[in-house]
Amino acid sequence: MKELRVAIVGQPNVGKSCLLNALVGSRIVVSNYPGTTVELTQAKKVFDDTKIYFEDTPGIYSISDRSEEEKVTERALFNEKIDKAVVIADSTSLDRSLYVALQILEAQIPVIIALNFVEDAQKKGIRIDYEKLEGLLGIPIVPINPLTKKGISQLLDTIVKYESEAANIFSVEYDDDIEKAINGLSPRISGTRLPRRFVALRILEEDTDFEKYLEDKGVIELVRQGLDKHHPRVYEDIAITRYGTACFIAEKVTQIIALGKGGKKLRDKMDNILLGNIRGPLTSGLFLFVIFGVLLYLGNWIQGALMGLVESLLSSLSTAEPSIVNMVLVQGITGVAAGVSIALPYVFLFYLLLALLEDSGILSRFIVNAERFLGMLGLPGKAFIPLALGLGCTAPATTATRVVSSKKEQFHTASFFAFVPCSSRIALIMGVVGYFGGMELAFSVFATSLIAGLIWAFAIKRVTHPKSEPLLLELPPYRKPLIKNVVVKSWIRMREFVYIVIPFLVIGGVAYGILDTLGLTNIVVEPLSPITAWLGLPNVTIIPLIFGFLQKDLTGAMLISVVGTEISSVLTPIQIYTFGVAATIGIPCIIALGMLIKEFGFKKAILLAVTSIFYGLLLAGLIWRAILIF
Amino acid sequence: MEESDTLRIVKEDILRILAEKAGKKSPLEFVKSEMKVSSSFISEAIKELEKENLIQVAKDSVGLTKQGQDSANSILEKHLTVERYLKKARSEGEAHEAAHILEHYISQEVVDNIKELSTLKKKGVPLTEFKFNREGIITNITFPDFTLFERVVSMGIAPGERIKITNRIGHTTIANVNGRFALGEDIARGIEVLEYERT
Repeated sequence: MKELRVAIVGQPNVGKSCLLNALVGSRIVVSNYPGTTVELTQAKKVFDDTKIYFEDTPGIYSISDRSEEEKVTERALFNEKIDKAVVIADSTSLDRSLYVALQILEAQIPVIIALNFVEDAQKKGIRIDYEKLEGLLGIPIVPINPLTKKGISQLLDTIVKYESEAANIFSVEYDDDIEKAINGLSPRISGTRLPRRFVALRILEEDTDFEKYLEDKGVIELVRQGLDKHHPRVYEDIAITRYGTACFIAEKVTQIIALGKGGKKLRDKMDNILLGNIRGPLTSGLFLFVIFGVLLYLGNWIQGALMGLVESLLSSLSTAEPSIVNMVLVQGITGVAAGVSIALPYVFLFYLLLALLEDSGILSRFIVNAERFLGMLGLPGKAFIPLALGLGCTAPATTATRVVSSKKEQFHTASFFAFVPCSSRIALIMGVVGYFGGMELAFSVFATSLIAGLIWAFAIKRVTHPKSEPLLLELPPYRKPLIKNVVVKSWIRMREFVYIVIPFLVIGGVAYGILDTLGLTNIVVEPLSPITAWLGLPNVTIIPLIFGFLQKDLTGAMLISVVGTEISSVLTPIQIYTFGVAATIGIPCIIALGMLIKEFGFKKAILLAVTSIFYGLLLAGLIWRAILIF
Repeated sequence: MEESDTLRIVKEDILRILAEKAGKKSPLEFVKSEMKVSSSFISEAIKELEKENLIQVAKDSVGLTKQGQDSANSILEKHLTVERYLKKARSEGEAHEAAHILEHYISQEVVDNIKELSTLKKKGVPLTEFKFNREGIITNITFPDFTLFERVVSMGIAPGERIKITNRIGHTTIANVNGRFALGEDIARGIEVLEYERT
């Protein structure tokens, strides 16, 4: 059977994931670069005796190595063997979509353009002459509608059958000096299967990754000197020419009949509210508050039902003869139960709501509002996405920091996970502090975490003077989200939780079970007594704090097992609060630490974990002393 | 393919070079030396231009026909418009070269816009200072950080495009340019805009 690797490329919100669903159904199999929006999803489809592997790339406007999204797409297209690329174009703004298509054509990768939103364009009075566009570019154009599946089988057919003929393919012509520079560089390029002209262009565009293909780097200086007179900023002239070419082609094939006003009014009205100077932050805040309320209410309800099921299963096991095997089994099931009862209700619901916000176009408006607040903390607006995800689970949220452009800013954003309580920490605060100490105490823990986060933010801002990348965000039109898409997207994000976090929960539970059965847990109590003394807590409480780091959801259960079920009679309200703060602030667990190591390296991750936990313990000890004084 | 784009550009360039010589016949060698492309392309372009009755070819020299003069004038006008406009921001040599590129690609609408701008003595203002809800034309884009340039242009925010600010929220500008965008202060400051008045 023939095999084909096909990249799906396009600007954000152009319907890439939607097209992928229409092409292969929801059988999305592997994810190479997991994350939030910065991910490469692969999917397989057998069509006409051909195995087609699709790679869905992050949304981009151009292929350069500037942002993480662009890097992922660039890698997918140029470092891996891609047979063909499907560029999804937005019929309502063809010129912009053509920019990236022209760039891929420069790499001589066969391109097929799938024209989306044809009906939207027609409503706006825009008609596109597909045949003329096909003739101009020398590549196939297929109008599609992934929602109604129109054009999908034609697209699959084209993907399988299209064989590009280099002679017919359109190529952007640059001015004489730039062409001369390209011709000067090309013969010196070797060691790549990419076309020399393309590599030469990338070098002129100051993409240093491509300089390694030059036999003699000195030639760049020579070529640049030749360009200095007319093109002191040659990358600008290349970009402008490419954009000009895209506009020129788009103009030739586009006919504007009448400018419709419908639909525009709703968008303006919505934006006047969501992007109003005062109304914007207010409505966004209210929206988030309602979402959070729904999440806690529904999550709590589902969690209760699931826990009931698990408890009946566990009680049948605990009546059996006590043994190591039984103990390990009980702890293992508790781990799975903790994972499932948190994952399903909180994390999945959260991702579902997030995907709904994203696909409806509301999320980008939230980012604009969040930018004002986050800017004060020295964070970029896009940090809103990982921080919001952090309310679900810190582990996948760590990968999601990739939406922020620079590594430095990503690490800065990740440091705030110490103060953004994940669903396990929320459960701990509500279930232990709230249940045994009262709701006021639970809210004090939340407030303390918030204030601790603000102090952290201003201290970092003071010391490092972070310079955030300026906001540059397209605000897509409001669209009705497609439920199937939303579910698939949420599941893709959930996978990481299911495959990485839940096994760790089980391992953590089993490890604790073994140590406890062997009576080894107490050996950690004595050496660490200075910590509990600082916190003003009984020595044994170090066990839930330490093992909570293995599996956060065990913290509450272990606290009960070391001090007994009558927590409120053993610990004073201040001690319950102190325990809550010490268990909440800091990088929460070993799984989050593992993800931080994967993302930022061992040294930085350990530094962040140790500093943030130390900071949490320091604050917890200081606060109860301060309360006693006053 | 409808017509090779390279061939079209070569044809347009030949017409412009002949027009610059103000209707006089030019030796074929001169045309070739000005063009810097392979002579087979030039021969093909000349053949087509002759067939379209835009030029007259005599022994070793070429000249424009009446019809050719008209087409050449419009190309020359486009070139001069773009060049004049670009001279405001660039050196003369740079402007001339950049105009060579753009004249083939730029749309008539953008040329019209530029022409209007060229007659005005006013310079654009940064988008951060531009009036709310008024239509403007982007006259220039400059960022201290070069990596931003391509991102902004590939998003459709380019010189000659029309722009309108719909909202301002904190330091962020919400503007319509080929779609709606939220632009941070540093981005908005790098986009120069002139109020658009259709005459």
